[in-house]
Amino acid sequence: MSVLSLCWIGLALLSLATVGFGSAGSGALMAGGVLVAALGKAWLIVDRFMELHRAPRFWRGLLLAWPLAMAAAIGLTLALR
Amino acid sequence: MSTSPEAAVRPLPGDLAMWFFILAELAVFGLLILAFAVTRLLHPALFAEGQAALDGSTGLALTLSLLTGGWLAALAVQRVRDDRPRRAAVLLLAALASAVVYVVLKLGEYAHLTRLGLDIEHDTFFTLYWILTGFHFLHVLLGMAILAFLALRCGQRAYGPGRCSGLESGVLYWHMVDLVWVLLFPLVYVLR
Repeated sequence: MSVLSLCWIGLALLSLATVGFGSAGSGALMAGGVLVAALGKAWLIVDRFMELHRAPRFWRGLLLAWPLAMAAAIGLTLALR
Repeated sequence: MSTSPEAAVRPLPGDLAMWFFILAELAVFGLLILAFAVTRLLHPALFAEGQAALDGSTGLALTLSLLTGGWLAALAVQRVRDDRPRRAAVLLLAALASAVVYVVLKLGEYAHLTRLGLDIEHDTFFTLYWILTGFHFLHVLLGMAILAFLALRCGQRAYGPGRCSGLESGVLYWHMVDLVWVLLFPLVYVLR
C-alpha cells in the first residue's frame, strides 16, 4: 500500500477520533484531543499530500505554522471561557 | 549522517506563485477562524445553541469526502510522474466525484438550515457560520473546476514526467482547501 493511501487511512481515522472526542464531552481533555487530531491531519496533508516533508525548511515551517497557530488560538479561547 | 538522495531537500512542487497564493488564502481564512473563535468566547451560550442545530455526522461525511478527493488528486500527480496520465485523469475524475458528494451534502445542510429560519441574519453564530463555511464552499467550487480542467488536460496527455508543474499547482490548491477544512470542521461542528 502506498504512503498516500496510508495517509488517507490515517486522516479518516483521525476524523473519526475527532467526532469521538467531541461526543465524549466538552472538557479540556476532550477539546485537547480534538485539536491534536486536527493538527495530526494538517501535518499529514502538508507533509505528504502537499509533499513538503522534504521541501525547503522555510516553506514547510510556514505551512505547518498555520494549523499550529490556529489550534493554539482556538485552544486559548476555549481555555479562557 | 545520511547522504542518500531520499534525504535530500527537494524543490517546492508546483509554481512558486501558487505557494504565495496559498499563504494569502490561509491568512484570510485564519482571520475568519479567529473571528469565529473569539466571538464564541464572548457569546458561549449563543454558540452552543447554534452548534446544536448542526449535525456532526454530516460534518464528518463532509470531511471524508474532501479528504478522499485530496488523496485521489495526490495519487493522480504520482501517476503522471510515472508517465500514466490517462490513469491520472481517471483519478482526478474520481476526486471530482468525491467533491460532488461534499457539494450535495453541504447544499442539503444549507437548505435544512434555511428551512429552519437559521439564515445569515438569524444571529451572530449563523452570520459567522454562513460567512466561514460559505467562503470555504466557494473555494471548493473553484477547486472542482480546477480538478475538471486538470482531468481534461491529463486525458490529452498534456502532463508527463518532468512537465507537471501546472498539475501540481492545481492539486496544491485542492490540498489547501482540505487543510482549511480540517480546522473548520472541529471549530464549527465539534468543539463546544
